[in-house]
Amino acid sequence: MDWLRSLTRQETTHSRLLAIAFLTVLTVIITFFLPPVADSQLAGGAAIAVVVLGLSWLTGWSGQISLGNSGFMAVGAYAAGIWARHHASTPLVFTLVLAIVIGGISGLIIAIPSTRLHGPYLAGMTLAFSAAVTPLAQNFTSVTGGEGGLFMNSLVTPKWFLHFFSGPNAAINANAQWSADLAVVVAGVMFFFMANLFHSRTGRAMRLVRDNDVAAELMGVNLARARTTAFVVSAAFAGLGGALYSLLQASVRPETFPIGLSITLLTLMVLGGIGTLSGAVIGGIIYAFSANLVAHVNSLTGVNPTSNVGANMQGMIFSVLLILTMLFAPRGIVSLKNPLRRLLRARPVTIAAKEVH
Amino acid sequence: MSAFLSSPFMHNIFAGLAQGIIYSLVALSLVIIWQSTHVLNFAQGAMAMIATYIGMTEIDRGIGYWWCVIISVMVGMALGGVTERVLIRPLYGKPEINPIVVMIGFLGFLEALAAAIWTSTTRNITEPFSQIYFKSNGHLVFLSSFIIFQIVLAMGIMLSVAALFRFTKLGLQLRASALAPEVSRLLGVRVSRMLTIGWTLSAGVGAIAAVIIASGNFGLFPTDMDGIFVASFIAAAVGGLESPLGAVAGGLIIGLTEQFIVAYWSPDVAPLGGIIILVIALMIRPQGLFTKNTIRRV
Repeated sequence: MDWLRSLTRQETTHSRLLAIAFLTVLTVIITFFLPPVADSQLAGGAAIAVVVLGLSWLTGWSGQISLGNSGFMAVGAYAAGIWARHHASTPLVFTLVLAIVIGGISGLIIAIPSTRLHGPYLAGMTLAFSAAVTPLAQNFTSVTGGEGGLFMNSLVTPKWFLHFFSGPNAAINANAQWSADLAVVVAGVMFFFMANLFHSRTGRAMRLVRDNDVAAELMGVNLARARTTAFVVSAAFAGLGGALYSLLQASVRPETFPIGLSITLLTLMVLGGIGTLSGAVIGGIIYAFSANLVAHVNSLTGVNPTSNVGANMQGMIFSVLLILTMLFAPRGIVSLKNPLRRLLRARPVTIAAKEVH
Repeated sequence: MSAFLSSPFMHNIFAGLAQGIIYSLVALSLVIIWQSTHVLNFAQGAMAMIATYIGMTEIDRGIGYWWCVIISVMVGMALGGVTERVLIRPLYGKPEINPIVVMIGFLGFLEALAAAIWTSTTRNITEPFSQIYFKSNGHLVFLSSFIIFQIVLAMGIMLSVAALFRFTKLGLQLRASALAPEVSRLLGVRVSRMLTIGWTLSAGVGAIAAVIIASGNFGLFPTDMDGIFVASFIAAAVGGLESPLGAVAGGLIIGLTEQFIVAYWSPDVAPLGGIIILVIALMIRPQGLFTKNTIRRV
């Protein structure tokens, strides 16, 4: 796997493009061999991975935390939904760009008062925002469709793509896979942007802001502007992810974006690894196949999946994983490769001095 | 006079104060934890919720109302202490994001657990006092014995907390270890024990708020405290997270504002009102309306 790692660690835009394009195409090829249900799950996972990546950038690179990204997802989703209601035949790319822009603007509105705040204040403020979004969407019925939400046209499978399919359910299977491939490609594009942002001047400045804001200010970084930028980018990614997610569902509803979704996003980010591209990919994969994982746990423990306990199993498992990861491996699954490698080489491990409070 | 007391305006004032006093209680509990350990406890509402649910299962077995209150508060306090020892203690000295994330995980766990055990439908306790509004000269006055009980109980708790901090040796030790942990330790205060006591106290205060909500008209459901937590956080942040008095005042302000938005616009817009108040308050005084921004002398 060394060649793959060296491929993704490249420092030039050109090689980053190659690496991410390679992984995207690989995933698209894999979708041809997956059953249609898994394709649909993968599509949802790709949309969520984009949101997780935006959150990961905010937390891992600028040191801020947001519980409002489910709210920004809702903003992007509603922007796409409301636009699609009036202009049914807009090209998909335009709808997605609109979601990015509107998501970013909503992020700016929240960022201006929030970025003077640090950790707990910011988390609370963004939590208040995501708590306000669902009731607001329910209130302005004429625009948002109220409780019932808005319906969108589902993604149309092009004619040429149908040639890959045969059998009785060819059209349905083709549509499931086309949606998945589209979501994967959109996610690939966003990952490419983020990979470049990580290595850009802004990215380097951001890391300095996170680690030592006094030093950053002395170096001429405008702290408020840097934090606002980080926030806006994160919200734009969430807006796109939200729009993509609802395009896949062909509807936008207020209850799709509860506060719990923000907690899920946080869990996925922490599980994968904060501030890394691969962490966001892992988060997306976990989200995509979490239903299978939960079904497996239910069958192992003999819990009836339709019972009360079974219905809340996912919430309990995710929360416990979040707590354990934060306590014992705060850098997530990505960080586990080093101890694993050390274990394989069987070198003596130095014991870190225990931190004394 | 009685015509004025029965006016819609006074109805909103009374209802806003009744709701606001609950925010004040939870905000006060957030401030106690913030002062002792500098953690904003996102699971505060969920911890109170689960404590009250345990109290409610006991009431189903036939115990009286006050026993339920006592059991809920006791369970809440125990949960607070254990949480500090198990989940928060390993994170001192780590980035400030870590305890936030852990407590959000705990929030998700408690809510899922409560829904798994008790279902997510609303449960309530038969209130010990009537909720029927008083009448004076044939006009309704929008106060009931329950609202008065709720306000008196909350005020009683707040005053006892204030008295504990102000007049007892324990309160002095708590304040000292919050203000200057190193010096306090040198002077023989068991600082780490004080942190646990701070969480215990705070969780007890939070549990009272959840009991009041469960006894009210609408009852309690597992995610019910999310909204309460957000409003109470805003209340505490408006007051500055450092100031107990500010938290109480902030709670009443938020409660009244939300009530007037609900009455004159729509209940769905009420959460936005809280955010707008927070933004305005932070623009005026980022450190909070009620904190002294001078360097404190130790």
